[in-house]
Amino acid sequence: MKVSYYPGCSLEALAKPYNNSTRSICRMLDVELHEPLGWSCCGSSAALKIDGLLSVSLAAHNLAKTEKVGPSDVLIPCPFCYRRLLSAQQELQADLNLKAKVESTIEADIEGRLSIHNILNFFRNVVGLEEIMSRVKKPLNGIKVLPYYGCYLVKPPGVTSFDDPEDPVSMDQILRSLGAEVLDWDFKTECCGSGLALSKTEKVVELSGRLVREAVWRGADAIVVVCQLCHANLDMRQDEMGRLHGEKYRLPIIYLTQLMGLAFGVEPGSLGLNHHLVNPLPVLKGI
Amino acid sequence: MVRLKGTSSEREFLHQVIDESGQNLLECLQCGKCSGGCPIASNEVGGPRRLIAQILGGMKEQALKDPTWWYCVSCGTCATRCPVEINMYKVSTVLCEIAEKEKVTPSEPDIHRFEELFLESVRKHGRVQEMKTAMAYNLRSWKPFKDAGMGFKLMIKGAVSPMDMLAGKRKEDAAVGRIFQRLQQDKNGE
Repeated sequence: MKVSYYPGCSLEALAKPYNNSTRSICRMLDVELHEPLGWSCCGSSAALKIDGLLSVSLAAHNLAKTEKVGPSDVLIPCPFCYRRLLSAQQELQADLNLKAKVESTIEADIEGRLSIHNILNFFRNVVGLEEIMSRVKKPLNGIKVLPYYGCYLVKPPGVTSFDDPEDPVSMDQILRSLGAEVLDWDFKTECCGSGLALSKTEKVVELSGRLVREAVWRGADAIVVVCQLCHANLDMRQDEMGRLHGEKYRLPIIYLTQLMGLAFGVEPGSLGLNHHLVNPLPVLKGI
Repeated sequence: MVRLKGTSSEREFLHQVIDESGQNLLECLQCGKCSGGCPIASNEVGGPRRLIAQILGGMKEQALKDPTWWYCVSCGTCATRCPVEINMYKVSTVLCEIAEKEKVTPSEPDIHRFEELFLESVRKHGRVQEMKTAMAYNLRSWKPFKDAGMGFKLMIKGAVSPMDMLAGKRKEDAAVGRIFQRLQQDKNGE
């Protein structure tokens, strides 16, 4: 299978483990990834806040680049890039004046023909659970995980139309097909504090702290994420959360793609599991 | 239900927000589901329900100074739960644009500074230089060592390289620079 692949800025920087693990499991699943030449930032939540037209134009610039690559199925692991590109494609189709304006700004035409997949939709529905199960060499037996979906993949349903915005299940299903024990909780799509990470760190510590406290209380070995910002907020702020709650937290935060890689038999080193602040290797050593 | 009071210029503000955001605030029931689920709503940061009430009441000055839309992380929870499907992150964009046009001093300078630095990095390099932007933000906020310990740990773990932090690693992206330039010219009416 050939798909276009838009990694986004974060996956080239702090979220390299997300990028590398996604690429290595795609190789194992015979999914050929084609990265558009000269892609740029999607504008993310910053452009969306400051300037609506800039936000749509930056996303459209990348839609145009991706349309040139070929495969109309596009895999976008970063939830921000995913929702911004998907939303821009919808907005341009719905408003021809906006489309004309944006096309002249980016000096390119938009066909609007891309099928844009987030990472969960891609693995759950395009690749499929049977295919995933057939590749498992080392099942994740005995590991208790809590799936954390975050906001941008499932909300608002008017844009993403993916899974249930309050109680999604696609990641639960993938994790079960890898052999993990999936725990239930009410925080699947509660916000981690997102882009306030640097400017309002105390808010992020409060919001992400609730998630970590709940996960520890539920007896989870790890929280599993599909967003680099959720990962950063949950993994890097545990000392501050601990100070807030009078606790000491050491809860591993792991990308779903890293667990898939591990179950498929990829070496932990090449999955970037050693790059997280809370070392997940001790809870994974039985695999 | 008639909520509009005040001068015609205040009514103008309500209609401008509705037109530009595409969100029909006149349908708002003030049920409060938005603020109930909003991650950033608090006593200090009012939340979407109060912000909508301000706009409906023609309280333009208060609305443009309300911290809610600065704090908004566009998570989409309000839009998910609203019985009349009002999407408040679209309203946040419009309020931010109006506040900038009318030169209202940002009520949340920290958030404003970060988002400006983020976009400045995109304008220059085409892709945001994460580490460099974080360093620039902490420097400009007079907190150069705020996350220094964490940065050091990440370096030891091999998650980031010192070069990323200091230099960033991309040259200019002319195509992206042109997008920013064209939109700025439009704003200036050139």
